[in-house]
Amino acid sequence: MKSRSPWRIAYRRLRSNRVALAALGLFVAIVVFVLAAPLWANEVAHTGPNATHTVEKITVDGERRDVVSPDGTPIGPVWLGADGRFFLGADGRLGRDEMVRLMYGGRTSLFIGLAAALITTLLAVGLGLLAGYFRGWTDAVISRLLDVIWAFPVILLGIALGTALAVGGLQIGPLSISSGSIWIPILIIGFVYTPYMARPIRGEVLALREKEFVEAAVAQGAGPLRVMFGELLPNLWSTIIVFFTLNIANNMLLEAALSFLGAGVQPPNSSWGTMISGGYELIYSAPLLTIIPGVMILLTVLSLNVFGDGLRDALDPKSKVELEAHAGTFEPEEEPV
Amino acid sequence: MRKLGVVVSVLALAVGATLGLAACSGSSGKEGGALKGSYASFPDYLDPQLSYSAEGWTAMYNTYIPLLTYAHAGGEAGGVVVPGLAEGLPKITDGGKTYTLNLRKGLKYSDGTPVKASDFKSTIERLFELNSPGTFYYTVIAGAEEFQKTKSGGISGIETDDASGEIAIHLTQPRGTFTNELALPFVALVPPGTPAKSQSTNPPPATGPYAIAESNPGRGWSYERNPQWEKNNAKLMPDLPGGHVDRIDISVINNQSTQVNDVEQGKSNWMFDPLPADRYAEVKGKYEGTQFRVEPTLNTYYFWMNTTQPPFDDLKVRQAVNYAVDSAALERIYAGQIKPSQQILPLGMPGYKEFTLYPHNMAKAKQLIADANPSDRDITVWTDDLSPNDEAGAYYQDLLERLGFSVKLKVLNADNYFTVIGNLSTPDLDTGWGNWFVDYPNPITFYEPALTGSSIAPTNNTNLAQLDVPSLDREVEVLSKQQLGAKQESKFAALDKSYMEQAPWAPFGIRTLSTFVSSDIDLGKVIWSPIFSNDLTSFQFK
Repeated sequence: MKSRSPWRIAYRRLRSNRVALAALGLFVAIVVFVLAAPLWANEVAHTGPNATHTVEKITVDGERRDVVSPDGTPIGPVWLGADGRFFLGADGRLGRDEMVRLMYGGRTSLFIGLAAALITTLLAVGLGLLAGYFRGWTDAVISRLLDVIWAFPVILLGIALGTALAVGGLQIGPLSISSGSIWIPILIIGFVYTPYMARPIRGEVLALREKEFVEAAVAQGAGPLRVMFGELLPNLWSTIIVFFTLNIANNMLLEAALSFLGAGVQPPNSSWGTMISGGYELIYSAPLLTIIPGVMILLTVLSLNVFGDGLRDALDPKSKVELEAHAGTFEPEEEPV
Repeated sequence: MRKLGVVVSVLALAVGATLGLAACSGSSGKEGGALKGSYASFPDYLDPQLSYSAEGWTAMYNTYIPLLTYAHAGGEAGGVVVPGLAEGLPKITDGGKTYTLNLRKGLKYSDGTPVKASDFKSTIERLFELNSPGTFYYTVIAGAEEFQKTKSGGISGIETDDASGEIAIHLTQPRGTFTNELALPFVALVPPGTPAKSQSTNPPPATGPYAIAESNPGRGWSYERNPQWEKNNAKLMPDLPGGHVDRIDISVINNQSTQVNDVEQGKSNWMFDPLPADRYAEVKGKYEGTQFRVEPTLNTYYFWMNTTQPPFDDLKVRQAVNYAVDSAALERIYAGQIKPSQQILPLGMPGYKEFTLYPHNMAKAKQLIADANPSDRDITVWTDDLSPNDEAGAYYQDLLERLGFSVKLKVLNADNYFTVIGNLSTPDLDTGWGNWFVDYPNPITFYEPALTGSSIAPTNNTNLAQLDVPSLDREVEVLSKQQLGAKQESKFAALDKSYMEQAPWAPFGIRTLSTFVSSDIDLGKVIWSPIFSNDLTSFQFK
């Protein structure tokens, strides 16, 4: 009989989930799109994301046109009419290239989503392992701390922190982050979502530490660190991966909300959130400036959520089985051994 | 005065139109009702001694009355000083060094406390205790400078008699504009014992037709009729209007487009702020003459440069910035609502004489930077978050980067922008966006508070460039002692050029402002004061 590792089984399940694979494909396409930003900016648009072109004229299909008209109206999408310059038009009265900003803004949004998810994961796994393994006072202190953060609505907490750090930056001991740095929203988002991941991990650690393999490791003289990182952590990977994926999507949404409200990415840097905020002021005269970054956020979050769901189904079939059992369609799946 | 503000005079057509419309409107229209208005940001302070913004002055024009005040009229007439709490204009003696006024008898604050002559002295002392940005107008009072330093012992140059109501103000030297300055909100009387700290959350009792009943900084405030107005004060000050509406509720709505929508839909009756750039043409086209009116204004929009530290302590760098700033670009950023200008005095101000010292020339700007070769190229650009000021800041940041600087842009909430950049302990105060509106129709108000060494203050600083050129200060001081006339106007014109040779600012234009009201408000009756913008007593429902 051929034996297969759980990872291989999960991979097989994921491969058979065509919706999840399509979502992954869409996400990869978006990543490639934003990674190509310097290429597009240097080779096609010949401008940077923050370069202003307020009084410039461009030739569109042989006709000279203002990038920004004297009454302040920005040029709309010209597609390939100006050899790729201002493909999606100008971003507003500053006359910055919307396409270039969209691509660079996507890099910022994705980077924030990813970096904040890493911070959340590190904090949540660390705290969850400590609380779940040691229990007692350690658990009580960590759990109450998480409860305090949990008690605040995420956006309100994010705005409060973002506004407080917007002028003076962050200074904690040797850690110094200047105001306007992209690391401010990353830290804020990574911090506010920590309880949402740490609590389930703590619960899973509490259950795992009662298992025989943990008792066996302890009986063999394994210390707390070895048990936590050598025995418990490998059993948490599937949970962590699923949470991590979904967390990126949530982080991007929060970044967009904070930037829209002025507490996230600071101008003139672009992110999809700041682009929606900037475009919102011109929503009557140039609605595409709001719609395009909005659609990009929608597609990215949708692809990550669908893929995350597929990943969860692949890594943790039990959750799907339970759901299907509730629905009355439970059919036990035979696992090859 | 910072932010939105003044209009003056020379635009006689607009003046005539305003007055004419007001006259034609007659006395028809409803009395009473609740007026709803909106501001994009909360005023700097709702405290007459502290506020130095158009937002605050509009809000308090009809609430806190000084001994003298400005006529409730548009255009030139609105720049005329008239008696307020005083019975008449001051008697000026002792070679222009003593001003004597008499308080009207029987006046009361909105809480019923009688108004006394000695309240003027305690109000001036409170002004200095608060380190108000307006103190520089009143340091000429004998003993004021000493009191400013010690905050004790009172101001010896003010003598009052509560029994007769006489107030005598002794100056250390004549001051040609002191009558105008006695009519500013800084010296509007408040009851003695009003704490020497900002009262924005609990504004002091009023003497005018309206009293601030509730204030929630950041969110809004409300007025009710001053109960003492009808009982006492209105009869004693018959020339001052009592207002038509019974209540005024002001909300802070950051999004100016939402403000426009609210006025269009009748959810709000008036918006304080200028129209957002992308709605201007639409609103003007649909409502001009019925709900919308362009108002003549006197202001200067500019980028200030901190002359006390590198790189802007180098004149060549400042001149380079002036050459680099393209007024045409900023005209587009402000959607055509700004008229390009490169000087300190705005068109229409007495003493204005057009010149262009720094025609846009990027090559010359880069050459000057190369000549200066500044060692410090890391700079911070400051601006507020109201559109399009935030975009002007982003434009300026990009411009400075093109000149070879490494630039960080800081965009602050408009509610506290000037408070933060007016605090000299704020780090990295290198350069940024600013605007200046006249305090009263005299060019001195563009120099003395904003560009003289004596106006530099550790907090509430209004000289953002921190310019201190003694030779120019002396010229301003000489002009401050004189009444404005043709000779003085030509001196102010020369001074304008002298200041721009120092290039502490890179001025880029004069902003057009407007009045926009809901369809149920009689636009013809709405007064645009040259000093206080919209006069809330003039709003009347049809």
